[in-house]
This record gives sequence, C-alpha cells and structure tokens, in this order.
Amino acid sequence: MPSSSHNRGPDSTPVAEAAPSSAPHSRSGQERPPARELDWSVYMARAQGGDREAYRRLLQDVTPYLRSIAARHFRNSGDIEDAVQEVLLTVHAVRHTYDPARPFGPWLVAIANRRVVDGLRRQGRSRAREVALETEHETFAAPQANLAETASDGRVLRDAIEQLPPGQRDAVRMLKLREMSLKEAAAASGMSVAALKVATHRGLKNLRKIFGRQGGKT
Amino acid sequence: MITTPDLIESLVAGAKPVRRLRPPAARAALWLLFAAAIVSLLAVSHGLRPDLGARLGQPLFATGLAASLLTGVLAAVAAFIVSLPDRSRLWLLLPAPALALWVSTISYECLTEWVSIRPDGVALGEAADCFATLVLTSVPLWLAMLLMLRHVALLRSAAAAVAASLAVAAIASTALALFHDLDASVMILMWNLGTAALLVGLGSAFWERMLFWVASR
Repeated sequence: MPSSSHNRGPDSTPVAEAAPSSAPHSRSGQERPPARELDWSVYMARAQGGDREAYRRLLQDVTPYLRSIAARHFRNSGDIEDAVQEVLLTVHAVRHTYDPARPFGPWLVAIANRRVVDGLRRQGRSRAREVALETEHETFAAPQANLAETASDGRVLRDAIEQLPPGQRDAVRMLKLREMSLKEAAAASGMSVAALKVATHRGLKNLRKIFGRQGGKT
Repeated sequence: MITTPDLIESLVAGAKPVRRLRPPAARAALWLLFAAAIVSLLAVSHGLRPDLGARLGQPLFATGLAASLLTGVLAAVAAFIVSLPDRSRLWLLLPAPALALWVSTISYECLTEWVSIRPDGVALGEAADCFATLVLTSVPLWLAMLLMLRHVALLRSAAAAVAASLAVAAIASTALALFHDLDASVMILMWNLGTAALLVGLGSAFWERMLFWVASR
C-alpha cells in the first residue's frame, strides 16, 4: 500500500478538501478518501495507547472537518468555534469508546452531530428568552430617551441655577453640586442647618419649575 | 475564551493511555452474570416459590418466564450497543419481539384468569415481600448499569436509558415470577407491566442526573 504518499497527503490538506459537501455522505463517512480515515483510525488507536504526538495530529487534523460540520448549522464564528471545542472535549472524554476495528468517520460524526444538536438547543432556549442589545436599540427619536449626559446638559443646569435667588443658589451649589454635608455647608455659609434645608428644598422646586417651562417650550 | 489550538494542546497534555471498552456483547454478558449472581443470592436467602416445578410445566407460564428473561438479555445487549456513538439506534428494537411475547403472555393470562383473585384478596405481607424482592434485584442492577454506561452521559443517554431500564425491569420481573406466588391476574399485570413501566419511567427521569453524578466521581 503506498502509505507514505497517502499519509502525507491528508495532513497537508486544506480545509476545503477536508470538508464534505453534503450531510448524508459525511454521515456514512464514505466521502473522504479512505486513506485519510485510516490515518485518523490509526492515530486514535495510538492515542488510546498514550501516544501524545499521534493524538495531537489527530485533533489538529479533524478540527477543520469539525468546523465544516458546525458551519452548516451556525452562522456566528464564535458559535462554530464553541461547537468545535465541545466536540473535541467530548472526543477526549469518550476516546476509550472507539474501537479501532471500525471506521473512525461515523464515530466522529455521531459525536459531532450530538454536540451540534446540543448547541442548537441551547441557542433556541436563549433566543426564546433573551434579546440581543444592538447599538440601534440605544437611541430613540424622543430626546428625553437619550440618557447619556452631554456637556450641553451641564451648561443648561448651571444656567438654571444662576437664575435662582442667591440663598437658594448657594445652598443648591454647596449641597448638590459640591456634595458638601449639611454641617460643612452651614460652617461655610454661616446659615443654619434648618435654613439650608429649606433653601435647598425651595431651590430644587424652582429648578423643577424652570425645566418644566423649558420642556413645555421644546 | 480559550482558542482551539490551545484547547488541543491542553487535551494532548492531559492524554493518558485509556483502556478500550470491551465489545458490547461481552459487557452485556458481564452485567447478566452480575444479575444472575443477585438472583441466585436471593434464591438462596428467600427460597424459590413452592409450586415452581408445577408452574414450569404449564406452557403459558414457562413461555412468559422465558420471554421476560429473553427481554432482559436482549435489552441489556441493546443498551450496551446503543451506548456507543457509532452504532445505529435501530438496535433498540432488538428486545422488541421478546417484549411483545412477554406482554402477550401476561395479557392472555389476564384474559383467562381475570377472576382468579382469592376471596380474601392479596395479603399485604405478600405484597410487601414482593416489593422487597423487586427493590433488592432492581437497585443493584440499575446501579451496575449506570456505572458501566457512565460514558454515555455525553452521548445518547435517552436511548440507553430506555434499553437499560427495560433490561432491569425484565430481570426483576423474572425474579418476581421465580420467587412469588402471585397468580392473581391483577397482581401479575400490576407487578409485571406496572413495575416495568415504572422502572422505565423512573430510569429515564433520573438517568441523566445519576449519570453525571456517577461520571463525575
């Protein structure tokens, strides 16, 4: 058997050739060249015996093929890679169930299909309950819906505070903008705590009125 | 997220030599040997039913007993075959003919003897004893099945659960027929079909959870 030329071939085969073109054929494992599947079978038999180099070649070799199976069911490249990794993990966990006397392709494809179906179910469940937040969901036509604070908002607020009577203006600035405590503000302004509270309360009420008027205008 | 080449490297680094599974028929034989041991132990401790010899002479009883035993054997073989990823799921049909024969003998007995409940009904003591036999046979068999099929957690666990539970139910039912004098048709129906259905149902419901538990040990 011209094994050297056949064996070398599959190892350097690009993704496109590794990928079978239709599901029914790949299911029976008949589409790939027999030498390739024989390679995989031999690699797996050696991997079961603890040969790490054979195991690495096998896993690297089947990855493009698994990716082509997953790509038939998932669009997102992240989902495809997730499915491939799930299959590799399962192959690792159940590698003792492979019987080298039997073809490797159907064994691998059965495991891959199982994991792909699991992935599709997971996807279906999350789609039924979750909505992806896209960038277009963040902006709506009404200006009030845009929550992001802009520089102009700050300016509008400062202008409004300027319009307040002096006592209320100072109280709001100290307690709300500079976030001083009532004691600190009392010490700084010489006003009593009770007077500060009243002034802040009235100041906020006036600000609400000012913005209410502006909102009505726009 | 780990990249696929990194994953491969980590899997390769953790690749120890593994022992291949024996052929499914050999594993089924091992499990059946265990089942035979359990049933023999029960026979020693409990004793066979007194009228077993006479009952075995009756073709209907003998056929039913043989059919339930055959169902157990074939279902066990089917469970070990479908637990492998590359075997056809049609193997699940392997115990079907024996199952059909078993069910038909029970039903026939029901038709012919449906009035044969004793005037005083079935004593509670007998029923409790039956239940003990059922638990003593089915629980160890089920645990053995779980242990031997733990790899199936990642594969086709539902198909294997049905076959495995059917195997356990059929063997337990065979044991019941050997040990207990329950010829009243309602009880036969209840114990045979009822427990088989119950075991298959319970088995399928808890199978996956138990498998992951066993597999993670």
